[in-house]
Amino acid sequence: MIASAIDAGTSPAAISAAGLVKRYGNLAAVDGLDLEIPAGEFFGLLGPNGSGKTTTIHMLATLVRPSEGRVKIGDIDVSRHPVQARRQIGLVFQESALDRTLTVRENLRFAGRLYNLPPSVSDQRSAELLELFDMTDRRDKPVATLSGGMRRALDIVRGVLHEPRVLFLDEPTIGLDLPNRRRIWRFIERLRARTGMTVLLTTHYLEEAYPCDRVVFVRKGKLVEEGNPQQLVARLGQHILEIEANDLDALRKRLEPELGECLIDGDVAFFRHGAEEMATLASLQTQVGDKATAWRVRRPNLNDVFMWISAGKALKS
Amino acid sequence: MIARPIYAVLEREVLRMLRQKTRLVSAMVRPLIWLFVIGAGFGTVIGDSRGIPYQSFLVAGVIGMTMLFGAMLAALTTVYDKESGVMRMMIIAPLPHFWIVIAKVLSAALAAILQALILIVLLALLGYIGSRTNFVLLAGGLVITSLACAGIGILTASFTRSLDNFAAIMNFVIFPVFFLSGSLYPVQNLPEVLRWVSTFNPYTYGVDLLKHATMGPGVMAADFSLTTDFAVLAGFTLLAVVVASWRFSRESAYEPMIHVLTGKQR
Repeated sequence: MIASAIDAGTSPAAISAAGLVKRYGNLAAVDGLDLEIPAGEFFGLLGPNGSGKTTTIHMLATLVRPSEGRVKIGDIDVSRHPVQARRQIGLVFQESALDRTLTVRENLRFAGRLYNLPPSVSDQRSAELLELFDMTDRRDKPVATLSGGMRRALDIVRGVLHEPRVLFLDEPTIGLDLPNRRRIWRFIERLRARTGMTVLLTTHYLEEAYPCDRVVFVRKGKLVEEGNPQQLVARLGQHILEIEANDLDALRKRLEPELGECLIDGDVAFFRHGAEEMATLASLQTQVGDKATAWRVRRPNLNDVFMWISAGKALKS
Repeated sequence: MIARPIYAVLEREVLRMLRQKTRLVSAMVRPLIWLFVIGAGFGTVIGDSRGIPYQSFLVAGVIGMTMLFGAMLAALTTVYDKESGVMRMMIIAPLPHFWIVIAKVLSAALAAILQALILIVLLALLGYIGSRTNFVLLAGGLVITSLACAGIGILTASFTRSLDNFAAIMNFVIFPVFFLSGSLYPVQNLPEVLRWVSTFNPYTYGVDLLKHATMGPGVMAADFSLTTDFAVLAGFTLLAVVVASWRFSRESAYEPMIHVLTGKQR
């Protein structure tokens, strides 16, 4: 066996993937992805819909066989030993994986038994986890009676009941309202603080990926950008200028020589401004005058990074 | 190691069965309607079949019917599991995926046996199961027939994407399997083509086995030998599990399932 990047280093990474490819016919859903995620890291896999995030998670979690490449969970080769690998991982799917007709306790006992946990152990662990998630009073309620947010929380409890080393969260807050999304993130925070487990998540609510230690952006199955969220945002610039105008095209031609290439999203043009001082922007605003119907200057965030990358533009101007 | 996950699937099936009262009640009412309404009606037309009153002949058929419907519906919940998400819980669990198929077959068979047992108690109270019944053979018949019925169910489920097709499954699987089985009339009495089809129906041998068990020795109402019955039923169950497991683990069959599960179509 040829030594590869994933064999390097002293302690094995929690998750490592080398040259991961998944083809469906002529379409490469994932096209040569390399990942190296150290134990305990909070890792975000970000990208537009159809960029291959879910396929990647399913390959890492043994559910989809890679067309090419190798995945290891710890030092377990996922293709060769999928059952052992599954023992080490928890996966919370985009869609619920619960039996709505059974109660919370029955669901968790069922899940526990699938991992060979006796009911006494899964009862005790679920009691602790439900308390961590403020759901102790729901134990004997049928899942069908829980709110969407609670069901998602229960799905996470289900995913970590067997104390996995690695937790995959595929869009954990999709379809939830803002208060419930915040709740889920509080739970994930508490869970990480308590167990120190490696967490890999995908999300397209990008502000939620901000607490990640590291994020990668994928586009058409390829890794296009990678880094610490704060650093990625900083690379984009110090300010984002949003302009609305009746003749957006004319304004764009006027401003691009000064500010660099802009991004058009609907009726709004986005410009980046690398410097901390705002004098340039202020003088440009005076020159443009009321040709712009709206002029906003704000700090960039991960959504901007995502937009720039989705548009296929490099971060550094 | 594998016992506990299988127990989990069995327990869930029983819990669901006991909770769905209408499913349980209709599983009891359906065979009794056949026995009393159809049985009485046909009985007056047909008279005795080979020296046995038609309703007594029908007892094996209705016990079999309870198992066929019970096991089929339980095995078809595999499709519901795919749609509702419980299958996600199972495919991510640390067990080879063919065990999911085996566990579903066992749980469907268990559900069928429990329903058949309740029916048998009812039939005994009504005087249809009596001294002529060989209870050891009946017990064996319940186990192997319910497994074969679960096999038909899991095989159907492994080729079915959604329960929207349920009416089609009813028309093209459950009804033909039931009507072409010797449940309602001895296989020997069928026209040649149908008799030929019936011999390819594994369920025929289950009903035949139940006839052996309920009508006692000496009365020649069964069509095949006990050995043939057991061999065909066991062989078919094995085949069904192998084919369904292959369907579940084969990548081209399995990956679309992942996309169904995750709501991502390709």
